[in-house]
Amino acid sequence: MTVKVTEAAAADTGVSAASRARTELARLISYIVFGGVSVVLSSMAAGLPTSRWEPLGAGTFPKLVFALLAVLCLIAAVRSIIEIVRAGGLAGVGAAFTQWLYVRRVAIGLFVLFAVYLGVLPWTGFSLASFVFLLIVQLMIAGVSRRTVIQSIIAALIFSVGLNLLFAEVFNVFLPRGVLFAG
Amino acid sequence: MLDAFLAGAHQVFAFDTLTYMLIGSVAGIIAAAIPGFTVTMAIILTLPLTFAMEPLQGVSVMLSVYVGGYTGGLISAALLGIPGTPSSVATTFDAFPMARKGEPGRALSLGVWASFFGTVISTIVLIVAAPPLALIAVKLGPWEYFALIVFALTIVASLVGNSLIRGLIAGVIGLGIATIGPDPMMGKSRLTFDTDLLMPGLPFLVVLIGIFAISQLLSEVEIHGKKTNQALIPDVIDFKTWKVMREVLMAPVNLFRSSMIGVLIGALPGAGGSIANLLAYDQAKRSSKNPEKFGEGCADGVVASEAGNSATAGGGLIPMIALGIPGSAVDAILMASLMVHGISVGPRLIMDHADLAYGMFIAMIVSSLMMLVVCVASMRLFLRVTDIPKQFIVPTVIICCVIGAFALNNRVTDLYLLGIIGLVGYGLKSLDYPLAPLVLGVILGPIAETNLRRALMSDPDWTTFFTRPISAILLAAALLSVIFSVRSILKMRKKNRPATDEQDGD
Repeated sequence: MTVKVTEAAAADTGVSAASRARTELARLISYIVFGGVSVVLSSMAAGLPTSRWEPLGAGTFPKLVFALLAVLCLIAAVRSIIEIVRAGGLAGVGAAFTQWLYVRRVAIGLFVLFAVYLGVLPWTGFSLASFVFLLIVQLMIAGVSRRTVIQSIIAALIFSVGLNLLFAEVFNVFLPRGVLFAG
Repeated sequence: MLDAFLAGAHQVFAFDTLTYMLIGSVAGIIAAAIPGFTVTMAIILTLPLTFAMEPLQGVSVMLSVYVGGYTGGLISAALLGIPGTPSSVATTFDAFPMARKGEPGRALSLGVWASFFGTVISTIVLIVAAPPLALIAVKLGPWEYFALIVFALTIVASLVGNSLIRGLIAGVIGLGIATIGPDPMMGKSRLTFDTDLLMPGLPFLVVLIGIFAISQLLSEVEIHGKKTNQALIPDVIDFKTWKVMREVLMAPVNLFRSSMIGVLIGALPGAGGSIANLLAYDQAKRSSKNPEKFGEGCADGVVASEAGNSATAGGGLIPMIALGIPGSAVDAILMASLMVHGISVGPRLIMDHADLAYGMFIAMIVSSLMMLVVCVASMRLFLRVTDIPKQFIVPTVIICCVIGAFALNNRVTDLYLLGIIGLVGYGLKSLDYPLAPLVLGVILGPIAETNLRRALMSDPDWTTFFTRPISAILLAAALLSVIFSVRSILKMRKKNRPATDEQDGD
């Protein structure tokens, strides 16, 4: 019994260490990306001309900020590597990434739809683009049934056409009409 | 002073302002009652609606949403055991067991009264503390201001989130974002890659909406295993409103201590209601004669948590009004809403726009009264809000975010930025980066740069930052905050490692 409990605890610790290593890998990638971008931006800022009127030019502050960011990312990256080694390596990274994507499948789908929505908004206008976006997202989250379709159509109409009218008539904020309907 | 006070009161007590504030109060309570919908998001969505209003009217409406929002989080915390906002985490410890024991009405009434008294106490402290602090602040030079911002950012990074280094990285990313576009002194274009998208810089409000709202909404639709069983709201609830008010007032020490903790935490940049409620709860438990009753439905626990989180509202306004340093993301939005109207927020606010500053104080008191009346009169209706399904909330709020981002400058390119920043925010959130330091970095970046450059224009010697006493104290405090944070993390790690070997807090 005791042996079983110890084995289970050891297995739990192993799983937790592996999971920690995978999380650290994801963070490590973010540190490398931020660090790399900050090195580029810091050198770009250093290339800006200095001012005749003051000791610091327009480029000094961004140069300092991005250099500091690069240093912080370097420290964080070294710490992450130590954590990964200490946790015993990166077993099951591929499977964990698949699981990560699976958990976030609706969020990713939502973002893709959001990006498409933002892309077509200037062409179709606020009301039409928002109506279609709201309808699809509501059905994606709630599932398709007769009830959800009717509810979603009503909600989509209120929050697309209704909001457009509200902002235009009450707040004098005019949302994009769309190139296709601009006449 | 009296003239300014009366002018502020005149604007706040105008019929249309009071009507908008009432709507704001209801909206704040409803928004925060929905699990996953934070006070910050509610304020962000209110912002575009205030563009067409007078500055004080707009800020008053946002304050009513703010005060209402801190109370609304209590509803789902008490009835479902899910904190409606991070500020009501400690409320679940006792309000939920109390509700489970058959006293949901008492739990809610305790929270509402504690929130009301907490907000009133914090507003009184705000009225007393902000004007003298502003008088001192106008005497500060650019050296002190720069040091103050460094201190604010290190405090935020060390108090928010699970990791100091990620907090610092987030804060510095915010500073970096603020450097894109025209420089704040000469208007010279920087780091724009000659694109129209980046040429005007990244508008603060678009960054804010993308970082907080879009990332939160994307997180809301993640599917982590099966749904937890949510408790059903009982049909019959006895709120015992007046009896509970007496109960709250009969324990004045707990109420006052928790409120003062909220004020102090709120006044620290970055440390808002999410920390105050836990700290106030902890102190109430330590000081109690019956600490064993905490966690089992103890009234003192509910009062401490709710008074603590609501008092941060007034506390957070102290550094904003007196120093021009926002204490939290919500204060940053309030500050931005004034900046949209061309009002510069800083120590001169009380001198140059005294009616606005005093009007804000009055609006805080009115907001807390409205919250109380609205809650007492219609709490039963708000309970149903927790049932609204996600499929309606998430896409609708996304549309409202799009309107908010567009309405600021009427630029479609801002919407593309919103999408990109939202994705980055979601990535950062998934990797456990705290988002508050980033947002404060964006708003404090231009102030820090302007003061650094002004300081060195006056005196090119860098050592002046360390020889001027206030500047030196602030820089030393910034260094100490980092050292203490690292020390406490190392201590915690040492304590945890032998047992589980599990930690997260570099």
